[in-house]
Amino acid sequence: MAAEPARSREPDRQPATPEEDVPPVSAPDDVLRVEHIAKRFGPVTALRDVNVHLRKGEVLGLLGDNGAGKSTLIKIISGFQKQDSGQMFLHGQPYVPKSVDDARAKGVDTVYQDLALIDELSVYHNLFLRRERLLRPLPVLNNREMKREARRALDEIGINIPRIDVSVARLSGGQRQAIAVARSVNSASDILLLDEPLAAMGAKEGAQILDLVARLKEEGRVSIIMILHNYEQVFLACDRVSMIQDGAIVLDKPTSETSVQELTEIVVNEYRRAREEQQASAAAAEESAKAAAAGESPSDGASPQP
Amino acid sequence: MASVAQDPASREPGGPGGSAHSRRALPGWREIGGRVIALREGSIIVITIVTAIYFSANTSTFFTGENFKTLLPYFAPFAILAAGEVFVMILGEIDLSIAGMYLFAPIIFDKLNTSVGLPLVPAVIVALLVCMVVGAINGVFVSIVGLSSFVVTLGMLFTFEGLSLIISKGTPVATPGGQPPLGTFGKVFGGGTYSELIWAVAIVVILQVVLTFTRWGLYTVAIGSNKLGAAEAGVRVNLVMIRNFTLCALTGGLVGIFEAVRSATVQPNPAGPNEILFLAIAAAVIGGTLLTGGSGTVVGALIGALFLGILKDGLILQGVQANYLLFYTGLAVIVAMTANVFVGRVRRGQTRGG
Ligand SMILES: Nc1ncnc2c1ncn2[C@@H]1O[C@H](COP(=O)(O)OP(=O)(O)OP(=O)(O)O)[C@@H](O)[C@H]1O
Ligand SMILES: [Mg+2]
Repeated sequence: MAAEPARSREPDRQPATPEEDVPPVSAPDDVLRVEHIAKRFGPVTALRDVNVHLRKGEVLGLLGDNGAGKSTLIKIISGFQKQDSGQMFLHGQPYVPKSVDDARAKGVDTVYQDLALIDELSVYHNLFLRRERLLRPLPVLNNREMKREARRALDEIGINIPRIDVSVARLSGGQRQAIAVARSVNSASDILLLDEPLAAMGAKEGAQILDLVARLKEEGRVSIIMILHNYEQVFLACDRVSMIQDGAIVLDKPTSETSVQELTEIVVNEYRRAREEQQASAAAAEESAKAAAAGESPSDGASPQP
Repeated sequence: MASVAQDPASREPGGPGGSAHSRRALPGWREIGGRVIALREGSIIVITIVTAIYFSANTSTFFTGENFKTLLPYFAPFAILAAGEVFVMILGEIDLSIAGMYLFAPIIFDKLNTSVGLPLVPAVIVALLVCMVVGAINGVFVSIVGLSSFVVTLGMLFTFEGLSLIISKGTPVATPGGQPPLGTFGKVFGGGTYSELIWAVAIVVILQVVLTFTRWGLYTVAIGSNKLGAAEAGVRVNLVMIRNFTLCALTGGLVGIFEAVRSATVQPNPAGPNEILFLAIAAAVIGGTLLTGGSGTVVGALIGALFLGILKDGLILQGVQANYLLFYTGLAVIVAMTANVFVGRVRRGQTRGG
């Protein structure tokens, strides 16, 4: 095992909260460890230096504002995107997923924020996308078996989908989400990544999915990273929370040791800080614009002459 | 609420048999009509039958065995081309280069046979392999490089029509194996009366089965419907796209060789292939394949080709002047597509209630 990596953060700004300095505790029973992950999209730095760990049988809530990089982190773990730098470890072994299929083969399955459902395909084809049952030895789809298993899987989860041979385009937003969740839960993976699995769901359906998560946790087989925006649901479903801000983890605590208040405070403080910064830079820009206008240099052809 | 065993060719769900209509008399006919309309190809089937009845009633010669033979070359080649095109169009892409393959394949075939000395069948195989490589290159440019398929395949179209002119020096030659009396090769590869029909039916059946009952078909629809989602689910999008462009180019080359054998001459003139290309695309679209992707059927493309063939043949039988032919075809395509939309609405209205 590698020694506990140094977790010094770039001191490029004042920590928003003291929690930022708490190093995430990495226990030997981590099923997944993500170390110093960074990812840029052209000029946008989505992830700067992210460290996340996931224990066996644990439900980790991943929080962060819109655009904080949560989905990007999920896509890197799921093998859909490659990080620019940093490493991942699965069950202590280096984990370098070559593709979504590869990650799935290693036991990591994902519900993407956009659900990755195919409108034109039926419910059962969606449920078995990339894991189709075939009429061996023929390379022909075994639709009957897929229908039967899809029905069983959906019933088991307790999701109400009246017909599984209709195209998913005809289903409601919540039903679609339920199918995406069912697809991953049904995949026999031991790590599930759920990117806002409750976003389009009514109270009852949301509770159903949270019950399902609780049930999976009880079985103790799977470990789950779940992105949520609703703090109540976080405290209901998660053992631990990690919060991403500005491309790094600023909080990592068991849910029992934090509160809605604390989480809200971090977010609001960050918002205030960002706004002040923005105002300051806007003021500076105005200043410099004024200065430029005052000292109009004739060589400045770019600015319109009055 | 028993789940009904559906014809999988129409991924549209819904209760066949139109419960709203079955109150009245003639339930048998109603049910059959309902089933036909519930198919994705339903509208074009109806329109084609109506067209055939019209010409049968208005000409004495349309509904004869002799005319059926005249009709064959008017639709069989288009059906094969449209079948390949459907695989690309479901992806939401288009392949214009099939006209280039259509022109190029027989010229390569001729050179391989007469200049290189390859026997007929190996020469055909090599010529078709060349087409497939070109198709794969199309696929690479579209999927990996990320260019628009319209632009890439238009470029390929001009490139290979140009290459055809260069290699053939613009002069027609007699097709090897296509000279009378026809041998087995000539009869199989397009020369026999029913050769192209048999090929067309076989290819359409195989490709429809591939589309409906295999992972390849499933992924093709998935990519056309939601490319990002398919990729996130783990579908190897690039691979499927390259494969489909390869298939499409293959059908272009194959039909080119058939037609060269059938007409006994390799004609290095791009005008013919270009018209054939657009008729093939029209056949696919009329048959219910969306230009926007995500949905389409190979059987529909066959029927679309049949409709265009019947139209051309019927108009000729009616004594329409040759100069008017294209004009009427154009109008008919517009009318057929409009009718398609209306019949489609009836179908969806019927199935929506479930
Ligand atoms: N493929 C991409 N190309 C360019 N920029 C991207 C891409 N994916 C994400 N980004 C950018 O990276 C940043 C993080 O995006 P991400 O989707 O990870 O945020 P998020 O935390 O999931 O937000 P939300 O809560 O809104 O889902 C955003 O600024 C986004 O614009
Ligand atoms: Mg997101």
